[in-house]
Amino acid sequence: MRTKDLSYWLFLAPVLLALTLVVIVPMLLGVYYSFTSWNGIVTGEFVGLQNYIDLFKDERFLDSLWFTTKFSIVSVILINIIGLSLALLVTGRVRSSKLLRTTFFMPNLIGGLILGFIWQFIFIKVFASVGEIIGMESLQGWLSTTDTGFWGLVILMSWQMAGYIMVIYIAYLEGMPKELLEASEIDGASTFQRFRYIVFPLVAPAFTVSMFLTLSNSFKLYDQNLSLTGGGPYNSTEMVAMEIFKTAFTQNAFAYAQAKAVIFFVIVAIIALVQVYLNKRKEVEM
Amino acid sequence: MKDFKFSKGLVASLMLSAAVLAGCSSDGEEASGSGSEDQVTVDIFQFKVEFKDQFEDVVALYEKENPDVNIEITTVGGGEDYGAALRSRFASGNEPAIFNIGGPQDVADWKDNLSDLAETKAAGAALEGTLDGVTVESEVLGLPYNQEGYGFIYNTRLFEEAGIDPASITDFASLEEAVKTLDSKKDELGLESVFAFPGKEAWVTGLHLSNTFLAPEFDNNVLAAFDAKTVDFKYADGYKKIVDLQNEYSKQPTVSLDYSQQVEELFSLERVAIIQQGNWAYGSIAGIDPELADSGVGLMPIPVEGLDNAGLPVGVPMYWGVNKQADEDVIRESKEFLDWLYTSDAGKTAVVEDFKFIPAYEGYDTSKISDPMSKAIYDASESGNTIGWVFMGYPTGWGEDELGASIQKYLSDEASWDEVIESAKEAWKTSRAE
Repeated sequence: MRTKDLSYWLFLAPVLLALTLVVIVPMLLGVYYSFTSWNGIVTGEFVGLQNYIDLFKDERFLDSLWFTTKFSIVSVILINIIGLSLALLVTGRVRSSKLLRTTFFMPNLIGGLILGFIWQFIFIKVFASVGEIIGMESLQGWLSTTDTGFWGLVILMSWQMAGYIMVIYIAYLEGMPKELLEASEIDGASTFQRFRYIVFPLVAPAFTVSMFLTLSNSFKLYDQNLSLTGGGPYNSTEMVAMEIFKTAFTQNAFAYAQAKAVIFFVIVAIIALVQVYLNKRKEVEM
Repeated sequence: MKDFKFSKGLVASLMLSAAVLAGCSSDGEEASGSGSEDQVTVDIFQFKVEFKDQFEDVVALYEKENPDVNIEITTVGGGEDYGAALRSRFASGNEPAIFNIGGPQDVADWKDNLSDLAETKAAGAALEGTLDGVTVESEVLGLPYNQEGYGFIYNTRLFEEAGIDPASITDFASLEEAVKTLDSKKDELGLESVFAFPGKEAWVTGLHLSNTFLAPEFDNNVLAAFDAKTVDFKYADGYKKIVDLQNEYSKQPTVSLDYSQQVEELFSLERVAIIQQGNWAYGSIAGIDPELADSGVGLMPIPVEGLDNAGLPVGVPMYWGVNKQADEDVIRESKEFLDWLYTSDAGKTAVVEDFKFIPAYEGYDTSKISDPMSKAIYDASESGNTIGWVFMGYPTGWGEDELGASIQKYLSDEASWDEVIESAKEAWKTSRAE
């Protein structure tokens, strides 16, 4: 086989070109800008590491980073549990499983902004009315405190993404060889044992994919955050993506925001790579 | 056969690469090619979505009168989005001829791209004070869109039924009394509460409300605020009292109460009697109850304790700037268009009747202004009983992200009022020190 000759590179050219133009060049430019005092109009002077030094002292940025981390941990766990449960439900012996699959997947087809507004209505209006009827004080004033804002976001995100993750689990569950399950049944394994020792290891690759998707999506969440809480109250439910956007476009500190974005990218990349590496080790070869 | 497939793939791949590269270059050529040769094309990049259709109609009229001018309008809405879009438009090299600028900060940012408009007829006709924010060393770098104002919008019918004369409310004490009267008659009047205080909208608390209390400190001058290294908050107590009053007699929780709840759901349906908003709320109210909007509301100033007779805060929300880097004839035509818009008879009619603007220029037939809030504002600005919009000179992001956010903290009992004021002072100082 001929490799690495001219035609090899010619075949790769469209992809390489596109990737360079829309990903690599902008990213390098972005890193360069983060060392300047760019204000969105003129590049400004070279300020070295000043932006990076500032951001580690920036409480608002660190707060949003912490908030995002908490949010991601909780949603990754919840989404995967719900997604797997739904997948097990619809691959089991349920009559209307086709219909259920569609229904569970549906939230994912609605845009994040719209979902945010719908859930805002549910949290503020519906929760309050229901709370009034059944006399539960804790359903009042949702989204007006940091805690309810946090859980609001988690609920919204889980509701939206669980269906999507469910589809991934379904694919792996249905691809499982039936002989193994039958054999374990004949050997007298209980339902739990079968799940723990047969199903679980076999769908491990699905965990890698699902956790990667949920983790990176939760970290980068922006539109749901914007429309559901808008960062309020007092910017306490502001996630990193939104914080960076605000730094750039409301404070016009473009270079500083760019520095935050670089750090954010590094963090997400490290977490995602570590996660994939760890998960990969748990997978079993068929 | 195999070779054939291979070369076909190669050709396809090469064509794709060519397409990718071609995509990068086409932009510049297209821009210069549009329009016929003797026509001057004026690109307008503007942000007011609310009057997009009416504006396009008026421009079509102008193009008919001036066949050698071709005007292209792009509208991008919202404050943040507009600023971002404008920056990318300039970065792409496809610069507009006419664009919008806000306050002194925008003027400073865009200074190299703004041509002097002092000689235009419109600048000559601009009302006193409306050009303050865009004047740099005798150069006028922008022309006002319109005027806007805000204060307490109240429901006249409810006031009447409660036996309150709005004219008697001149200071904080009389306002408090009126609020208590309204509160005591809540059930008869069918009110949910007296106020609807939108703590979620940081611009209401952090920009507009704070302006009322900071304007006297800066002599009503936006440039004084823009140049100030520090802020004193001389009237911080009065500010606290108004925040407390609105918060205490408002529907709870105020921290998550937003504009649409405040204006549309609560005020327009007459479930609250007073809201702190401006003439822009007319559209929202009229969308729900046109009768209320046209004849059932009034606008009064926000009282400042320790200061008698504070006026209505009236200002210019946005200016037109003309791109200095554009071709000479494009600049000339741009100025002419703006002159026509604000000083010709056809333009004036459109400004008042179609755009429903409160004109920032003299020589308008103000009897055509239909809604009561705009009327109150124009009357106030004519008689000079106004205070300035110094918030346009606040440090970037300070009003909403610092002060407004701290007030949300205060409303959630996470901070004391002193902490709010202290952190706002500190933030002002740091951001001005840079």
